[in-house]
Amino acid sequence: MAASFASKWFLAGRSLLGGLRNNSLGLLRTSQEMTCSDFLSQQRRTFIQMRTNLKVVDNSGAKRVMCIQALKGKKGARLGDTIIASVKEAQPGGKVKKGSVVYGVVVRAAMQRGCCDGSEVKFDDNAVVLVNKQGEPIGTRVFGPVPHELRKKKHVKILSLAEHIA
Amino acid sequence: MRLEKCWFCSSTIYPGHGIQFVRNDAKIFRFCRSKCHKNFKMKRNPRKVKWTKAYRRLHGKDMTQDSTFEFERKRNRPERYDRNITENTLKAIKKIDKVRVDREARHHAKRMKGKKAKEQREAAKELEQSIHMVKAPVALQQEPSLTLPKIKVKVSQQQAEENRMEE
Repeated sequence: MAASFASKWFLAGRSLLGGLRNNSLGLLRTSQEMTCSDFLSQQRRTFIQMRTNLKVVDNSGAKRVMCIQALKGKKGARLGDTIIASVKEAQPGGKVKKGSVVYGVVVRAAMQRGCCDGSEVKFDDNAVVLVNKQGEPIGTRVFGPVPHELRKKKHVKILSLAEHIA
Repeated sequence: MRLEKCWFCSSTIYPGHGIQFVRNDAKIFRFCRSKCHKNFKMKRNPRKVKWTKAYRRLHGKDMTQDSTFEFERKRNRPERYDRNITENTLKAIKKIDKVRVDREARHHAKRMKGKKAKEQREAAKELEQSIHMVKAPVALQQEPSLTLPKIKVKVSQQQAEENRMEE
């Protein structure tokens, strides 16, 4: 109980402790925390880990995707990392079907990530762009803003498709 | 490197400080410190929060229009490096800052102009009305030097005698 109250106040899981606390409470978000902090931002700002739902922001056909593995990173994936995900919701005539296992690149994360100049960036939601094993995007368009941290991670193709680079 | 302004309090954000929040409609909000960030998350309007520049400008506490502000406008064209221009710019920045500070001081003085006279009037009034808070009335009567000089009003002799008779 103490842990859940503590996490209500340290809502922005800035330090690495945020991820650990989340793990200790269980991998699912507890509804109690969400109701306590309803006037603050509703997003839980931690890593992207197993069972995290992400929005798909390209036109590959999938709508929602659930992370099943974060490649690289003990605690989870952050902005710019690749994940393995399972498609939970898909558009009827798309390139990917519901239930298929795909790779994705995280383009927007609610958890802040440090930039090279020392400041931090955070987005409004968790979003992913589906890619194949080689890292090339499956879709042909990307919606919403993307960070320019992707350039360092060598996801230049996604940057070129993006409509706005944050 | 670019010095940004905090969205909430309008102070400068130096490199390495603050958090940048990108909304899904691609609007970027920059905050200088967590105080501003938390106020933003609480959905507070900076125009109503007293310590922000937005409030102060809106309510006339700080200068709004001045030619010194023109120098700080955002320019999107990168300038080719020229050593002389850089040197002159650095000198100019110092001078412009001094001018701006002087003008702000003048604005403040103008705002506070009638305050001293008002304070003096209020103090005098308080002294004559509430002197009993400071010294007991009995003490005042015994030592006439403590009271303020009373203004003598001429009353006709007959009326004064009548009053004495009544008492």
